[in-house]
Formats: sequence, C-alpha cells, structure tokens
Amino acid sequence: MLEKGKISAFQMGVMMYPTIIATAILSLPATMATYAHNDLWLSPIWASFAGFLTVYVSHRLHQYYPQQTLIEYSCQIVGLIPGKLIGFLYCFLYLMWTGQIVRNYAEFVVGAFLFNTPIVVVIASMILVCVFAVRGGIEVIGRAALLFMPLFVLPLCLMVLLLLPDLDWQNFFPVLENGIVPSLKGAVVPHIWLGEFWLTAFLFPLLADSSKGRKWGMLSVLAVTITMIATNLFSLFLFGSDVSSMLYPLMIASRYVSIADFFENLESVVMAVWVLGAFVKISVFFYVIVLGSAQLMEVTDYRPLVWPIGFLIVLFSFWGIPNMIVFNYLDETSLPYYGFFMQILLPLLLLLIAKLRNKPQRMKSAA
Amino acid sequence: MKRILLTLLMMSLLFLGGCWDRTEINDLAIITGAAIDAADDNQIELSVQVFIPRALSAGRGSTSSGGNLTLVKSAKGASIADAIALLQTKIPRKIFWGHCEVFIFGEDMAKRGIAEEMDFLVRHPQPRERAYMFVSKGKAAKTLELRPELERYSSEVIREMSDMHIGMLVTIIQLKEMLRGKSNAAALPLIDVMPPPNEAKGLETAPYIMGTAVFRKGKMVGEINEKATRGVMWIRGEVERYTVTAKLKNVQGTVSLNPIHSDIKFIPSIRNGQWQMTIKAKTEGDVVQNGTNLDMSNPEMIKLVEKAFQQDIEDRIELALKQVQHEMKADIFDFATDFYREYPQEWKAAKNNWDEIFPNVKVITDIHAYVRRPGLVTLPGGIPEEEVREK
Repeated sequence: MLEKGKISAFQMGVMMYPTIIATAILSLPATMATYAHNDLWLSPIWASFAGFLTVYVSHRLHQYYPQQTLIEYSCQIVGLIPGKLIGFLYCFLYLMWTGQIVRNYAEFVVGAFLFNTPIVVVIASMILVCVFAVRGGIEVIGRAALLFMPLFVLPLCLMVLLLLPDLDWQNFFPVLENGIVPSLKGAVVPHIWLGEFWLTAFLFPLLADSSKGRKWGMLSVLAVTITMIATNLFSLFLFGSDVSSMLYPLMIASRYVSIADFFENLESVVMAVWVLGAFVKISVFFYVIVLGSAQLMEVTDYRPLVWPIGFLIVLFSFWGIPNMIVFNYLDETSLPYYGFFMQILLPLLLLLIAKLRNKPQRMKSAA
Repeated sequence: MKRILLTLLMMSLLFLGGCWDRTEINDLAIITGAAIDAADDNQIELSVQVFIPRALSAGRGSTSSGGNLTLVKSAKGASIADAIALLQTKIPRKIFWGHCEVFIFGEDMAKRGIAEEMDFLVRHPQPRERAYMFVSKGKAAKTLELRPELERYSSEVIREMSDMHIGMLVTIIQLKEMLRGKSNAAALPLIDVMPPPNEAKGLETAPYIMGTAVFRKGKMVGEINEKATRGVMWIRGEVERYTVTAKLKNVQGTVSLNPIHSDIKFIPSIRNGQWQMTIKAKTEGDVVQNGTNLDMSNPEMIKLVEKAFQQDIEDRIELALKQVQHEMKADIFDFATDFYREYPQEWKAAKNNWDEIFPNVKVITDIHAYVRRPGLVTLPGGIPEEEVREK
C-alpha cells in the first residue's frame, strides 16, 4: 500500500458528505427545477439509487480484492493493459472533474463576492491549501472533514430556520402534474453527483474497520439525499417556480434573511461554508487522483506527484471552459452520458467480470 | 527542507496579504434609495439617494435637524446599468448598492413597463433581494429629496411604513415572482408626498403609502386607493394591523375593532365551465372603541358587532374586486396559481385565455368575524348608565 494512514469508516462517511453536497446544493436545485418544476424534491430520490448502487458495487469489489484500490484490481479483473487503461480513464476523469469543481467554486466566489480578484488567484490559493492537505495523506483529510462537518451543516440549518417565516409550503402543489417523467428528467444531472460515491472504490482499502464501510457509505448516501431533498424543498417554498431561473438559489436565500432589521446579509456565511465544503471536496478528489496515478505508474511514494497534479488541476480548470454558460451547458448535455458510463456502467461491468472470475476459484477451494 | 518550507510559508503571505476586493468604507457611496423615472427618447432617469456619513457624525452635537443626511444625484441613460455608469462620473466614491432598501419607479416609468429594469435588479449581484419596491405618484426622484422630520431620510420612512403593513409590501424577489408568475399581473404599493404643512417648510415632509399600483404584463394599468387596497390585502392575506370601524345597522355611532388574527383560504372550483373562487376568511378582533350605546358585555350585542365587522370586510373585498377584477382585469390576487394547483389539467388548457377568464371568475366570500375581547370596559365609556341599550 502506498498509503500508510488509515481512517475509520465513519470518517469516510463524513468525508463523502461535503464531497457530494458542497457543489450539489448551490447550482443543482436550479438544474432540477428546470426539468422537474415543482416536483424537484423527487429528483434526488431517483438520483439516490445511483448513490446506493455505486456504494454497493464498490463494496462488493472491495470484498473480492480487500487490500486493493480500483486501479489495482481493474488490472486483475480485465488484465494488465485494459486494466491500466481503465485506471488511466478514471485518473483522467477525476482530473478533469476536479478542474471543473475548482472552476465552479472560483466562479461562484468571483461572480458573487470578489468581483475584482483575478480568478486564477482564487483557484491557485485553493489548490495550494489542498496540496498541503493531500501531502498530509488521507488521515489529514479525514480529520479536516470531521472538523469542518459541523461548521458546514449548522449554518445551513440556521439559515433555513431564519427563513421559516418566508416559506410558502403551498408551492408544493400540484404534485406530479405531468406524471413522473419530469422528476426523472430532473434526476439525470444529480445522479452524477450521487454517483461520485464511486470514489469509495479508492477509499475502502484505507479503512481501519472495513466491515463497517458499507454501512457508513450507505448512511452517507442517505444523508446526502435527505440534504438535497431539504434544500430543494426549501428553495421551492421560498422562490416558487422561479428557482430554475437562479444560478445560486441558496446564496440568494441567504441574502433574503432579515430578522429584526439588523440580522441580515448572511451571504458571507454561505460563502464561508461553501469554501469549507469545497476544500473537502477538492481535497478528496485531488487525493484520489494522486493515489490513483501513483498506483497506475507503480511508484513507491505518491507525495512527489502532489505538486505537478495540483498544477494540472489549475490548468484543467481553464481548459475547455470558456465561460459559465458553456460550463452549465456541458453539465446538462455531455456530463450525464459519460458520467453514467464511468460511474455506473463500467463499475457494474467490472463487478460482473470479477464475479465470473472469482466463482470457479471459490468452488475449487471448496472442493 | 526547512528552508523550502520557510520559503513556502513566506510565499503564502502573497495570497494572504493582498486582496483585490478590499474597499474602504470611506471610498463607498452608500445608496439608501433609488428612483427610476422615464425620460425622453425612451431613456430612463436614475436618481440615487446617497448617504453622507460626515453629516451623521457632525450633526450629533447640534440641535437643529437642518443638516441634510443624504444627497440626491441623477443621470439619464438607456437602462439602469447605463445610467449608473454616467452617475458614477458625478460621484467621487464607488457606488454601492448593498444597503439600498428602497427602489421607486416613477408613474410614467411604470406605465411604460418595468420588465427591462427589473432584470438589472435581480441580475446584478449587489442589490438586495429583500429591497422593497414602490411606484410613486408623479416623478419618483422628488421622493428622495424630501427631508422627513422623524426618520433620517425619506427612503427609510417608506421602508418603515411598509414594515408596518399599512400598504402592500413587495420585495424584489416577490415582484419577480409576480412578473414571471402565471397571472401576468403584479401590484406594488403606490406612494405620494404629503403636502408640507406650510410653504416655507418646502421639502420638510415625508412620503406615505396612498394605495396600490396595478400592473398587467409588466405595465402599470391603474391604481386603487387606500380603501380598496385594504380589500386587496384582505384577499391576499396580508392584513396585519389596522382598525376596522364598522357602522351597525339601526344603531347610532360606530364600533372600532383591531383585528388581531386573520386566516384566509382560497377554494377554487370549476363547475360546468364556470370558474369560481371561494374566499374563506376567519378573523378575530378586540373592541377598541365603542361609539354606540350598546353594552359590550352582552353576547347578543357582540353578535351585532360581529355582523357589522363581517359586513365591513365583505364590502372592502367587493370594492377591491370591482376595481381590480372587473375594471382593470388584472389578477393581482394570483387566483391563477390557485386554479393551477387545484386543476392542473384544466389550467393547461385555459392558461392562454386567462386574461379573458379572470374577469368572469365568480368570487364568493365566506367571512367569519369574531369579537374576542371587549377591551378594558364593558359599558360605553361616555354615556350615563340609563342610556345604555341592553337589547
């Protein structure tokens, strides 16, 4: 193993939560509302199947190859060359996605708060912090996630509480106006976010108590789903059918808080929360790329790779993304297809082959 | 290794120390209110009320309230964004919208259409979504120039008044919902300037909310007065605190009540192609003045008061319906959404004809008004006991 550190299953669950939610709560409610209108709260439920499935698949594969990550066991499942190819695909996919995540984070910060700051500064400073976390190894990221978790969740709950008087629950109706199809369409994009639980394929071997891995993975999916339903309902109740026209509904919600004329303008709180969440999210993705590529190239230490990959992420955050409009467009057009292939189809295929390969062996040992 | 780390740490100072978006507060022109008026050639005139911080600190010691706390600047342009660019050339500090809580459209602007300018307010990151929207009788800019006696500046006056729910209260987000909603109609509080007590005082007066401006498809189509506004607010369920003064049948004098709680429900129904809306309202109030000779401790008498209370609300609702539904044909009550929620399929078929359907929606009111407490005295406070009517 390249990674000497171990985390607990609970830490993994906590770590995965901001990894999914950090970007999911800001722009996804609007995306879901575009397709599902006021049934948007149903979409995360459909999307959660993708999350439960990926955790299940990655845990089954982990049972077949307990000490190995995806990169290593894919070579055993489909042979050296195809296995390396798959490993490369995942490393590349996560590299590209991390670039997009960093860009999304930076666009939000620059577009809504720091208008005059060059975006590269925002991106580079975030990557710099993440580099230190990733160099520290999985234990550091796990502990940071544990530390930031309450700071991430509590302000969001507080915001909902403060806006209770402005909510109009009647926006909930009519339910299923056009049948179930719009809410399914709304689930197409968020299923990628829940499918990101496929990252656990890299994390399961690092668990100190891997027997609890599946339980905490599933619980994390559940928590993510509930959070998404809650934020969707919250934006629906607050803004009605207008959610779809907003880029960052939750940020606008935080600006809408006004208690007793002085407790207002809380968007800086959302910004702080978002930075914490984005830090955990980027660190986890970053770490997985570093670990994955180290295993792919079979080097003895992953630390030397951290800086160059950090640099690559900065580059990927600019390559292919001319502006936010194209970014959002790609999120809704190409992402669901290749995301589905990489996070659902390919893992299922791997599991199937692994099952076929391992069956005769087990029978042999029994005989 | 240590040296590298040290260099790294020092390099991080570069990121910590510099901040591109640092703006000192004394470089900001804090806008407290903005007015948007129509100008010639399809242009707009933007006027802003800028807070003068120096006046606040200097004025503390002096007794006179003559010092102006704000100044008003205006500029013309093709749109708000264009006008701001011109305005900025006249103000030495950076224009800052973050504290602008009041936006006023001039009457001419409202009649021309507010859709284009609304886009700026929701798109630009600085204006607050909770800022209040108004329409002003005549030119909006004049409101900003007033020097009210009680509050620090005129936009604060109308904001405070709105917070008391004297007239309608509409925030940017709510207006956006109305404009983009199913009903194609919107309503904004209408303000006017109180005439100054005497000529010499000139600008030392304040704006007040005089009614409601009614919009259809983003254009102002009419206005309703203060009385009908109450009816509209009753229907929209926004009534919070005001006094109902009801005239009882066959009794001299009036009884005034303070409603403390009201609960409105809409029940849409479509029967044989007839669209119908039942407004169910339940309200409770306390007697605050009894100008009649009725004994307020007598349940029979209270029933009479309740009846008058109920009649008064019904009259107001009817007045509002007559003006808004039948004359202006603007669905500012958002019946459209209620029908859509209850009858999504019928709504889909009819939504393009809503403008024709709405004036013909039959409205039935079902009001229950209750008097809960008689106040601190039971018998009429100003007449001898012999004259009190017990039955």
